[in-house]
Amino acid sequence: MAAPVGRTVLGVTKGWRRLEGLRTASLGSRSLSLAAAPSSSGSPWRLLGALCLQRPPLVSKPLTPLQEEMGALFQQIEVERSRYSDHELRALDEARRLAKKKADLNDEEDDEQDILLVQDLEDVWEQKFLQFKPGARVTEADKKNDRTSLQRKLDRNLVLLVKEKLGDQDVWMLPQAEWQPGETLRGTAERTLATLSENNLEAKFLGNAPCGHYKFKFPQALRTESSLGAKVFFFKALLLTGDFSRTSKKDHHVWVCKEELGDYLKPKYLTQVRRFLLDL
Amino acid sequence: MAVAALGASARALRLRSGLLGPWQTQMREAHQRAALLSFWELIPMRAEPLRKKKKVDPKKDQAVKDRLKKRIRRLEKASQELIPIEDFIIPAKLLDKTRQRPKVELPFEESERRALLLKKWSLYKHQEHEKERDAITSMLESQQEALQELKLISPELHEEATKRDPNLFPFEREGPDYTPPISSYQPPEGRYHDITKVYTQVEFKR
Repeated sequence: MAAPVGRTVLGVTKGWRRLEGLRTASLGSRSLSLAAAPSSSGSPWRLLGALCLQRPPLVSKPLTPLQEEMGALFQQIEVERSRYSDHELRALDEARRLAKKKADLNDEEDDEQDILLVQDLEDVWEQKFLQFKPGARVTEADKKNDRTSLQRKLDRNLVLLVKEKLGDQDVWMLPQAEWQPGETLRGTAERTLATLSENNLEAKFLGNAPCGHYKFKFPQALRTESSLGAKVFFFKALLLTGDFSRTSKKDHHVWVCKEELGDYLKPKYLTQVRRFLLDL
Repeated sequence: MAVAALGASARALRLRSGLLGPWQTQMREAHQRAALLSFWELIPMRAEPLRKKKKVDPKKDQAVKDRLKKRIRRLEKASQELIPIEDFIIPAKLLDKTRQRPKVELPFEESERRALLLKKWSLYKHQEHEKERDAITSMLESQQEALQELKLISPELHEEATKRDPNLFPFEREGPDYTPPISSYQPPEGRYHDITKVYTQVEFKR
Protein backbone atom coordinates (compact mmCIF):
# COMPACT_ATOMS: atom_id res chain seq x y z
CA MET A 1 0.00 0.00 0.00
CA ALA A 2 1.62 3.22 -1.10
CA ALA A 3 1.13 5.81 1.60
CA PRO A 4 1.84 9.39 0.61
CA VAL A 5 4.40 11.26 2.62
CA GLY A 6 2.88 13.99 4.67
CA ARG A 7 5.49 15.25 6.99
CA THR A 8 8.54 16.36 5.05
CA VAL A 9 10.14 19.52 6.29
CA LEU A 10 11.63 21.66 3.56
CA GLY A 11 13.54 23.69 6.01
CA VAL A 12 13.81 27.02 4.33
CA THR A 13 10.20 28.20 4.14
CA LYS A 14 7.26 27.72 6.44
CA GLY A 15 4.83 26.88 3.69
CA TRP A 16 5.61 24.77 0.70
CA ARG A 17 6.74 26.07 -2.62
CA ARG A 18 5.21 25.51 -5.93
CA LEU A 19 6.51 26.62 -9.27
CA GLU A 20 5.67 25.74 -12.79
CA GLY A 21 8.10 23.12 -13.93
CA LEU A 22 6.09 20.79 -16.04
CA ARG A 23 7.72 21.27 -19.40
CA THR A 24 10.01 18.31 -18.99
CA ALA A 25 7.91 16.63 -16.40
CA SER A 26 5.28 14.99 -18.57
CA LEU A 27 7.72 12.56 -20.15
CA GLY A 28 10.02 12.09 -17.26
CA SER A 29 7.55 12.10 -14.40
CA ARG A 30 6.29 8.57 -14.81
CA SER A 31 9.72 6.99 -14.90
CA LEU A 32 10.99 9.18 -12.11
CA SER A 33 8.09 8.42 -9.82
CA LEU A 34 8.34 4.71 -10.52
CA ALA A 35 12.04 4.77 -9.82
CA ALA A 36 11.60 6.77 -6.67
CA ALA A 37 8.74 4.73 -5.23
CA PRO A 38 10.60 1.59 -4.31
CA SER A 39 13.51 3.52 -2.92
CA SER A 40 11.54 5.63 -0.43
CA SER A 41 8.97 4.35 2.03
CA GLY A 42 6.06 5.87 0.12
CA SER A 43 5.46 7.66 -3.14
CA PRO A 44 7.30 10.93 -3.65
CA TRP A 45 4.14 12.85 -4.43
CA ARG A 46 2.59 14.96 -1.76
CA LEU A 47 -1.17 14.95 -1.49
CA LEU A 48 -3.25 18.06 -1.32
CA GLY A 49 -6.98 18.49 -1.15
CA ALA A 50 -8.42 21.60 -2.76
CA LEU A 51 -11.82 23.20 -2.65
CA CYS A 52 -13.75 24.52 -5.63
CA LEU A 53 -16.31 26.66 -3.84
CA GLN A 54 -19.01 27.99 -6.14
CA ARG A 55 -21.65 30.59 -5.53
CA PRO A 56 -24.63 29.54 -7.62
CA PRO A 57 -26.43 32.25 -9.61
CA LEU A 58 -29.22 34.26 -7.94
CA VAL A 59 -30.67 35.73 -11.09
CA SER A 60 -31.45 34.38 -14.55
CA LYS A 61 -29.27 35.30 -17.50
CA PRO A 62 -30.44 38.03 -19.88
CA LEU A 63 -32.01 36.72 -23.08
CA THR A 64 -30.20 36.82 -26.40
CA PRO A 65 -32.00 38.61 -29.28
CA LEU A 66 -33.00 35.28 -30.84
CA GLN A 67 -34.45 34.10 -27.55
CA GLU A 68 -36.42 37.31 -27.17
CA GLU A 69 -37.87 37.04 -30.65
CA MET A 70 -38.78 33.45 -30.06
CA GLY A 71 -40.37 34.35 -26.74
CA ALA A 72 -42.51 36.97 -28.40
CA LEU A 73 -43.53 34.51 -31.11
CA PHE A 74 -44.57 31.88 -28.59
CA GLN A 75 -46.67 34.43 -26.74
CA GLN A 76 -48.39 35.42 -29.97
CA ILE A 77 -49.18 31.84 -30.91
CA GLU A 78 -50.49 31.14 -27.42
CA VAL A 79 -52.85 34.09 -27.55
CA GLU A 80 -54.06 33.14 -31.03
CA ARG A 81 -54.89 29.61 -29.98
CA SER A 82 -56.57 30.52 -26.71
CA ARG A 83 -60.16 31.29 -25.77
CA TYR A 84 -61.38 34.59 -24.42
CA SER A 85 -60.97 35.06 -20.69
CA ASP A 86 -63.58 36.69 -18.42
CA HIS A 87 -61.66 39.95 -18.43
CA GLU A 88 -61.51 40.05 -22.21
CA LEU A 89 -65.20 39.21 -22.57
CA ARG A 90 -66.04 42.05 -20.24
CA ALA A 91 -63.86 44.41 -22.25
CA LEU A 92 -65.57 43.36 -25.49
CA ASP A 93 -69.03 43.84 -23.95
CA GLU A 94 -68.18 47.29 -22.76
CA ALA A 95 -66.71 48.27 -26.10
CA ARG A 96 -69.92 47.18 -27.84
CA ARG A 97 -72.06 49.05 -25.34
CA LEU A 98 -70.03 52.23 -25.72
CA ALA A 99 -70.27 51.98 -29.49
CA LYS A 100 -74.04 51.54 -29.25
CA LYS A 101 -74.33 54.48 -26.90
CA LYS A 102 -72.41 56.66 -29.27
CA ALA A 103 -74.49 55.49 -32.22
CA ASP A 104 -77.83 56.43 -30.68
CA LEU A 105 -77.20 59.24 -28.23
CA ASN A 106 -80.86 60.04 -27.66
CA ASP A 107 -81.53 56.53 -26.43
CA GLU A 108 -81.04 56.98 -22.70
CA GLU A 109 -80.03 53.68 -21.23
CA ASP A 110 -80.46 53.21 -17.54
CA ASP A 111 -77.26 53.33 -15.56
CA GLU A 112 -77.02 49.67 -14.93
CA GLN A 113 -73.53 49.52 -16.30
CA ASP A 114 -70.64 49.18 -13.94
CA ILE A 115 -68.97 52.32 -12.85
CA LEU A 116 -65.67 50.65 -13.15
CA LEU A 117 -64.62 50.08 -16.70
CA VAL A 118 -62.06 47.55 -17.73
CA GLN A 119 -59.70 50.34 -18.62
CA ASP A 120 -59.86 51.74 -15.09
CA LEU A 121 -59.07 48.37 -13.62
CA GLU A 122 -56.09 47.96 -15.88
CA ASP A 123 -54.82 51.40 -14.90
CA VAL A 124 -55.11 50.57 -11.22
CA TRP A 125 -53.16 47.38 -11.74
CA GLU A 126 -50.47 49.20 -13.68
CA GLN A 127 -50.09 51.74 -10.88
CA LYS A 128 -49.74 49.03 -8.30
CA PHE A 129 -47.09 47.30 -10.35
CA LEU A 130 -45.09 50.47 -10.75
CA GLN A 131 -45.11 51.03 -7.03
CA PHE A 132 -43.18 47.84 -6.42
CA LYS A 133 -39.44 48.26 -6.72
CA PRO A 134 -37.71 44.96 -7.45
CA GLY A 135 -34.07 44.30 -6.61
CA ALA A 136 -31.48 45.39 -9.13
CA ARG A 137 -30.09 42.79 -11.49
CA VAL A 138 -26.93 44.78 -12.07
CA THR A 139 -25.59 45.64 -8.66
CA GLU A 140 -23.15 48.25 -7.42
CA ALA A 141 -20.42 45.70 -7.16
CA ASP A 142 -20.80 45.13 -10.88
CA LYS A 143 -20.35 48.78 -11.60
CA LYS A 144 -17.32 49.09 -9.38
CA ASN A 145 -15.99 45.72 -10.52
CA ASP A 146 -15.29 44.83 -6.94
CA ARG A 147 -14.11 41.29 -7.34
CA THR A 148 -14.03 40.44 -3.67
CA SER A 149 -17.75 40.93 -3.30
CA LEU A 150 -20.32 38.17 -3.62
CA GLN A 151 -22.95 40.49 -5.07
CA ARG A 152 -21.22 40.81 -8.38
CA LYS A 153 -22.45 38.99 -11.51
CA LEU A 154 -25.59 37.58 -9.99
CA ASP A 155 -26.35 35.54 -13.08
CA ARG A 156 -23.13 33.53 -13.16
CA ASN A 157 -21.39 30.91 -11.09
CA LEU A 158 -18.62 32.52 -9.07
CA VAL A 159 -15.59 30.51 -7.90
CA LEU A 160 -13.41 31.38 -4.96
CA LEU A 161 -9.72 31.99 -5.63
CA VAL A 162 -7.12 32.57 -2.96
CA LYS A 163 -3.69 34.10 -3.14
CA GLU A 164 -0.99 32.11 -1.43
CA LYS A 165 2.52 33.25 -0.78
CA LEU A 166 4.98 30.57 -1.75
CA GLY A 167 8.58 31.39 -1.15
CA ASP A 168 9.20 34.41 -3.24
CA GLN A 169 6.09 34.26 -5.37
CA ASP A 170 2.44 35.11 -4.89
CA VAL A 171 0.31 32.59 -6.66
CA TRP A 172 -3.44 32.60 -7.18
CA MET A 173 -5.09 29.21 -6.84
CA LEU A 174 -8.10 27.41 -5.48
CA PRO A 175 -7.86 27.11 -1.70
CA GLN A 176 -6.08 23.92 -0.68
CA ALA A 177 -4.55 22.16 2.27
CA GLU A 178 -2.16 19.29 2.83
CA TRP A 179 -3.64 15.86 3.35
CA GLN A 180 -3.14 14.41 6.78
CA PRO A 181 -3.15 10.68 7.34
CA GLY A 182 -6.34 9.51 8.95
CA GLU A 183 -8.75 11.70 7.02
CA THR A 184 -10.34 11.41 3.61
CA LEU A 185 -9.49 13.88 0.88
CA ARG A 186 -12.95 15.36 1.17
CA GLY A 187 -12.18 15.92 4.83
CA THR A 188 -9.12 17.88 3.77
CA ALA A 189 -11.30 20.04 1.58
CA GLU A 190 -13.73 20.61 4.45
CA ARG A 191 -10.84 21.56 6.68
CA THR A 192 -9.70 24.09 4.08
CA LEU A 193 -13.17 25.59 4.12
CA ALA A 194 -13.19 25.89 7.87
CA THR A 195 -9.76 27.47 8.11
CA LEU A 196 -10.48 29.89 5.28
CA SER A 197 -13.46 31.53 6.72
CA GLU A 198 -13.12 30.75 10.43
CA ASN A 199 -16.45 28.92 10.21
CA ASN A 200 -18.39 31.69 8.51
CA LEU A 201 -18.96 29.96 5.20
CA GLU A 202 -21.45 27.12 4.84
CA ALA A 203 -21.21 24.89 1.82
CA LYS A 204 -22.82 21.75 0.49
CA PHE A 205 -20.31 19.27 -0.84
CA LEU A 206 -21.30 17.45 -4.00
CA GLY A 207 -20.24 13.92 -3.27
CA ASN A 208 -17.18 12.12 -2.02
CA ALA A 209 -15.32 11.88 -5.29
CA PRO A 210 -12.94 14.55 -6.56
CA CYS A 211 -13.97 16.37 -9.71
CA GLY A 212 -10.48 16.98 -11.06
CA HIS A 213 -6.82 16.76 -10.26
CA TYR A 214 -3.61 18.57 -11.01
CA LYS A 215 -0.10 17.34 -10.54
CA PHE A 216 3.10 19.24 -10.81
CA LYS A 217 6.68 18.80 -9.89
CA PHE A 218 8.74 21.04 -7.77
CA PRO A 219 11.61 22.81 -9.48
CA GLN A 220 14.92 21.00 -9.38
CA ALA A 221 16.21 23.06 -6.53
CA LEU A 222 13.43 22.04 -4.20
CA ARG A 223 13.20 18.40 -4.98
CA THR A 224 14.24 16.06 -2.26
CA GLU A 225 14.31 12.31 -2.05
CA SER A 226 10.81 12.05 -0.80
CA SER A 227 8.99 15.00 -2.32
CA LEU A 228 9.15 15.17 -6.05
CA GLY A 229 6.06 17.18 -6.54
CA ALA A 230 2.49 17.36 -5.45
CA LYS A 231 -0.90 16.17 -6.58
CA VAL A 232 -3.92 18.33 -5.92
CA PHE A 233 -7.43 16.91 -5.95
CA PHE A 234 -10.35 19.30 -6.35
CA PHE A 235 -13.68 18.90 -4.61
CA LYS A 236 -16.79 20.80 -5.61
CA ALA A 237 -19.00 22.55 -3.13
CA LEU A 238 -21.92 24.95 -3.45
CA LEU A 239 -21.97 27.96 -1.19
CA LEU A 240 -25.11 28.08 0.95
CA THR A 241 -24.66 31.04 3.27
CA GLY A 242 -21.97 33.19 4.74
CA ASP A 243 -19.22 35.35 3.41
CA PHE A 244 -15.80 36.49 4.35
CA SER A 245 -15.79 39.05 7.12
CA ARG A 246 -15.02 42.54 6.00
CA THR A 247 -12.07 42.87 8.31
CA SER A 248 -10.10 39.98 6.90
CA LYS A 249 -7.21 40.60 4.57
CA LYS A 250 -8.59 42.30 1.50
CA ASP A 251 -6.21 41.18 -1.12
CA HIS A 252 -6.30 37.49 -0.44
CA HIS A 253 -9.47 36.22 -1.99
CA VAL A 254 -11.50 36.85 -5.08
CA TRP A 255 -14.84 35.62 -6.43
CA VAL A 256 -14.45 35.07 -10.12
CA CYS A 257 -16.51 33.73 -13.00
CA LYS A 258 -15.15 31.29 -15.57
CA GLU A 259 -13.93 33.82 -18.10
CA GLU A 260 -12.01 35.80 -15.55
CA LEU A 261 -10.13 32.77 -14.29
CA GLY A 262 -7.55 33.37 -16.98
CA ASP A 263 -6.58 36.64 -15.32
CA TYR A 264 -5.46 34.86 -12.22
CA LEU A 265 -4.49 31.27 -12.80
CA LYS A 266 -1.41 29.83 -14.45
CA PRO A 267 -2.06 28.25 -17.87
CA LYS A 268 -1.66 24.54 -17.10
CA TYR A 269 -3.58 24.86 -13.86
CA LEU A 270 -6.25 26.78 -15.71
CA THR A 271 -6.81 24.09 -18.35
CA GLN A 272 -7.34 21.47 -15.70
CA VAL A 273 -9.71 23.62 -13.72
CA ARG A 274 -11.76 24.62 -16.72
CA ARG A 275 -12.56 21.03 -17.52
CA PHE A 276 -14.73 20.62 -14.50
CA LEU A 277 -16.24 24.09 -14.21
CA LEU A 278 -19.58 24.30 -15.91
CA ASP A 279 -19.81 27.26 -18.22
CA LEU A 280 -23.32 28.62 -17.92
CA MET B 1 -76.17 -29.59 48.30
CA ALA B 2 -79.80 -30.21 49.17
CA VAL B 3 -78.99 -29.71 52.83
CA ALA B 4 -77.29 -26.40 52.02
CA ALA B 5 -80.24 -25.27 49.91
CA LEU B 6 -82.69 -26.27 52.68
CA GLY B 7 -80.51 -24.53 55.20
CA ALA B 8 -80.46 -21.38 53.06
CA SER B 9 -84.21 -21.33 52.65
CA ALA B 10 -84.68 -21.93 56.38
CA ARG B 11 -82.36 -18.99 57.09
CA ALA B 12 -84.24 -16.85 54.68
CA LEU B 13 -87.51 -17.72 56.34
CA ARG B 14 -86.11 -17.02 59.75
CA LEU B 15 -84.66 -13.65 58.59
CA ARG B 16 -88.04 -12.47 57.62
CA SER B 17 -89.28 -13.13 61.10
CA GLY B 18 -91.70 -10.30 60.91
CA LEU B 19 -93.16 -11.64 57.71
CA LEU B 20 -95.71 -14.29 57.07
CA GLY B 21 -94.93 -17.48 55.27
CA PRO B 22 -94.48 -17.84 51.51
CA TRP B 23 -98.13 -18.63 50.84
CA GLN B 24 -99.40 -15.57 52.57
CA THR B 25 -96.83 -13.27 50.90
CA GLN B 26 -98.10 -14.14 47.49
CA MET B 27 -101.47 -12.74 48.29
CA ARG B 28 -100.16 -9.32 49.28
CA GLU B 29 -100.41 -6.21 47.14
CA ALA B 30 -98.20 -5.91 44.13
CA HIS B 31 -96.35 -2.79 45.29
CA GLN B 32 -94.81 -4.67 48.11
CA ARG B 33 -93.77 -7.60 46.10
CA ALA B 34 -90.65 -6.29 44.37
CA ALA B 35 -88.54 -6.07 47.51
CA LEU B 36 -90.04 -8.90 49.42
CA LEU B 37 -90.23 -11.39 46.66
CA SER B 38 -86.64 -10.91 45.55
CA PHE B 39 -85.80 -14.27 47.04
CA TRP B 40 -88.65 -15.93 45.26
CA GLU B 41 -87.79 -14.42 41.93
CA LEU B 42 -84.66 -16.42 42.00
CA ILE B 43 -86.79 -19.55 41.70
CA PRO B 44 -88.56 -19.44 38.35
CA MET B 45 -92.23 -19.85 39.21
CA ARG B 46 -93.71 -19.15 35.83
CA ALA B 47 -91.41 -20.98 33.50
CA GLU B 48 -92.54 -22.83 30.47
CA PRO B 49 -90.63 -25.52 28.63
CA LEU B 50 -87.82 -24.13 26.34
CA ARG B 51 -88.72 -23.70 22.68
CA LYS B 52 -86.74 -25.81 20.25
CA LYS B 53 -84.32 -23.81 17.98
CA LYS B 54 -85.13 -24.32 14.29
CA LYS B 55 -82.33 -25.99 12.35
CA VAL B 56 -82.83 -23.81 9.29
CA ASP B 57 -81.79 -20.68 11.15
CA PRO B 58 -77.98 -21.00 10.86
CA LYS B 59 -78.31 -21.61 7.12
CA LYS B 60 -80.55 -18.60 6.75
CA ASP B 61 -78.11 -16.41 8.66
CA GLN B 62 -75.26 -17.62 6.51
CA ALA B 63 -77.22 -16.85 3.35
CA VAL B 64 -78.00 -13.33 4.57
CA LYS B 65 -74.36 -12.72 5.41
CA ASP B 66 -73.27 -13.94 1.99
CA ARG B 67 -75.70 -11.66 0.22
CA LEU B 68 -74.45 -8.69 2.23
CA LYS B 69 -70.84 -9.52 1.44
CA LYS B 70 -71.62 -9.80 -2.26
CA ARG B 71 -73.30 -6.40 -2.18
CA ILE B 72 -70.30 -4.88 -0.39
CA ARG B 73 -67.93 -6.41 -2.93
CA ARG B 74 -69.91 -5.01 -5.83
CA LEU B 75 -69.91 -1.57 -4.22
CA GLU B 76 -66.18 -1.73 -3.64
CA LYS B 77 -65.50 -2.65 -7.25
CA ALA B 78 -67.71 0.12 -8.49
CA SER B 79 -66.35 2.82 -6.21
CA GLN B 80 -62.69 2.63 -7.24
CA GLU B 81 -62.70 6.11 -8.70
CA LEU B 82 -59.46 7.55 -9.88
CA ILE B 83 -58.39 10.91 -8.53
CA PRO B 84 -59.35 13.46 -11.18
CA ILE B 85 -56.54 15.56 -12.65
CA GLU B 86 -58.01 19.02 -12.48
CA ASP B 87 -55.79 20.37 -15.25
CA PHE B 88 -57.25 17.98 -17.79
CA ILE B 89 -60.88 18.76 -17.06
CA ILE B 90 -62.04 21.74 -19.09
CA PRO B 91 -64.76 23.63 -17.21
CA ALA B 92 -67.95 23.68 -19.23
CA LYS B 93 -68.27 27.45 -19.34
CA LEU B 94 -65.05 27.74 -21.32
CA LEU B 95 -66.41 25.66 -24.19
CA ASP B 96 -68.97 28.32 -25.07
CA LYS B 97 -69.14 29.53 -28.62
CA THR B 98 -69.01 33.14 -27.51
CA ARG B 99 -65.59 32.48 -26.09
CA GLN B 100 -63.94 31.52 -29.32
CA ARG B 101 -61.66 33.96 -31.00
CA PRO B 102 -62.22 34.80 -34.64
CA LYS B 103 -59.86 32.86 -36.85
CA VAL B 104 -56.77 34.82 -37.80
CA GLU B 105 -55.59 34.66 -41.39
CA LEU B 106 -51.83 35.14 -41.37
CA PRO B 107 -50.36 37.11 -44.24
CA PHE B 108 -47.72 35.38 -46.31
CA GLU B 109 -44.81 37.40 -44.90
CA GLU B 110 -45.81 36.64 -41.36
CA SER B 111 -45.99 32.91 -41.92
CA GLU B 112 -42.63 33.01 -43.72
CA ARG B 113 -41.07 34.92 -40.87
CA ARG B 114 -42.42 32.40 -38.39
CA ALA B 115 -41.14 29.42 -40.31
CA LEU B 116 -37.68 30.97 -40.63
CA LEU B 117 -37.57 31.86 -36.96
CA LEU B 118 -38.54 28.35 -35.95
CA LYS B 119 -35.74 26.91 -38.05
CA LYS B 120 -33.21 29.26 -36.49
CA TRP B 121 -34.52 28.35 -33.08
CA SER B 122 -34.18 24.63 -33.65
CA LEU B 123 -30.58 25.13 -34.81
CA TYR B 124 -29.83 27.21 -31.74
CA LYS B 125 -31.33 24.63 -29.42
CA HIS B 126 -29.34 21.89 -31.11
CA GLN B 127 -26.11 23.84 -30.62
CA GLU B 128 -27.00 24.52 -26.99
CA HIS B 129 -27.62 20.83 -26.42
CA GLU B 130 -24.27 19.93 -27.97
CA LYS B 131 -22.46 22.44 -25.78
CA GLU B 132 -24.12 21.08 -22.67
CA ARG B 133 -23.31 17.53 -23.66
CA ASP B 134 -19.67 18.38 -24.28
CA ALA B 135 -19.40 20.18 -20.96
CA ILE B 136 -20.85 17.19 -19.15
CA THR B 137 -18.53 14.71 -20.90
CA SER B 138 -15.53 16.84 -20.07
CA MET B 139 -16.56 17.00 -16.42
CA LEU B 140 -17.03 13.27 -16.29
CA GLU B 141 -13.68 12.62 -17.96
CA SER B 142 -11.91 14.91 -15.55
CA GLN B 143 -13.52 13.11 -12.64
CA GLN B 144 -12.58 9.68 -13.98
CA GLU B 145 -8.98 10.73 -14.47
CA ALA B 146 -8.83 12.11 -10.96
CA LEU B 147 -10.17 8.84 -9.60
CA GLN B 148 -7.58 6.88 -11.58
CA GLU B 149 -4.81 9.01 -10.14
CA LEU B 150 -6.18 8.51 -6.68
CA LYS B 151 -6.22 4.78 -7.24
CA LEU B 152 -2.57 4.86 -8.19
CA ILE B 153 -1.72 6.81 -5.10
CA SER B 154 -3.66 4.87 -2.54
CA PRO B 155 -6.45 2.31 -2.95
CA GLU B 156 -7.90 3.22 0.43
CA LEU B 157 -8.51 6.83 -0.47
CA HIS B 158 -9.93 5.71 -3.79
CA GLU B 159 -12.37 3.43 -2.03
CA GLU B 160 -13.49 6.18 0.28
CA ALA B 161 -13.91 8.54 -2.63
CA THR B 162 -16.15 6.11 -4.48
CA LYS B 163 -18.48 5.56 -1.52
CA ARG B 164 -21.99 6.95 -1.66
CA ASP B 165 -22.64 10.13 0.23
CA PRO B 166 -25.88 9.70 2.18
CA ASN B 167 -26.11 13.40 3.00
CA LEU B 168 -26.17 14.43 -0.63
CA PHE B 169 -29.82 13.55 -1.30
CA PRO B 170 -32.45 14.91 -0.89
CA PHE B 171 -30.82 17.86 -2.56
CA GLU B 172 -33.02 20.96 -2.69
CA ARG B 173 -32.13 24.31 -4.13
CA GLU B 174 -34.21 27.25 -5.29
CA GLY B 175 -33.43 28.23 -8.83
CA PRO B 176 -32.49 31.71 -10.07
CA ASP B 177 -35.29 34.29 -10.20
CA TYR B 178 -35.61 37.29 -12.44
CA THR B 179 -34.57 39.79 -9.73
CA PRO B 180 -32.48 39.21 -6.61
CA PRO B 181 -34.17 39.14 -3.19
CA ILE B 182 -34.64 42.52 -1.51
CA SER B 183 -32.92 42.57 1.85
CA SER B 184 -35.54 44.55 3.80
CA TYR B 185 -38.77 43.48 2.14
CA GLN B 186 -42.05 43.75 4.08
CA PRO B 187 -44.60 41.36 2.64
CA PRO B 188 -48.23 42.59 2.74
CA GLU B 189 -50.26 41.68 5.82
CA GLY B 190 -52.82 38.95 5.59
CA ARG B 191 -53.53 35.30 6.16
CA TYR B 192 -52.89 32.52 3.74
CA HIS B 193 -55.93 30.28 3.14
CA ASP B 194 -54.99 27.18 1.25
CA ILE B 195 -58.01 26.04 -0.74
CA THR B 196 -56.46 23.30 -2.83
CA LYS B 197 -58.73 20.29 -3.11
CA VAL B 198 -57.12 17.19 -1.68
CA TYR B 199 -58.46 13.90 -2.94
CA THR B 200 -57.93 10.66 -1.10
CA GLN B 201 -58.34 7.32 -2.70
CA VAL B 202 -59.83 4.83 -0.27
CA GLU B 203 -58.36 1.42 -0.88
CA PHE B 204 -60.27 -1.62 0.22
CA LYS B 205 -57.87 -4.42 0.85
CA ARG B 206 -59.39 -7.87 0.90
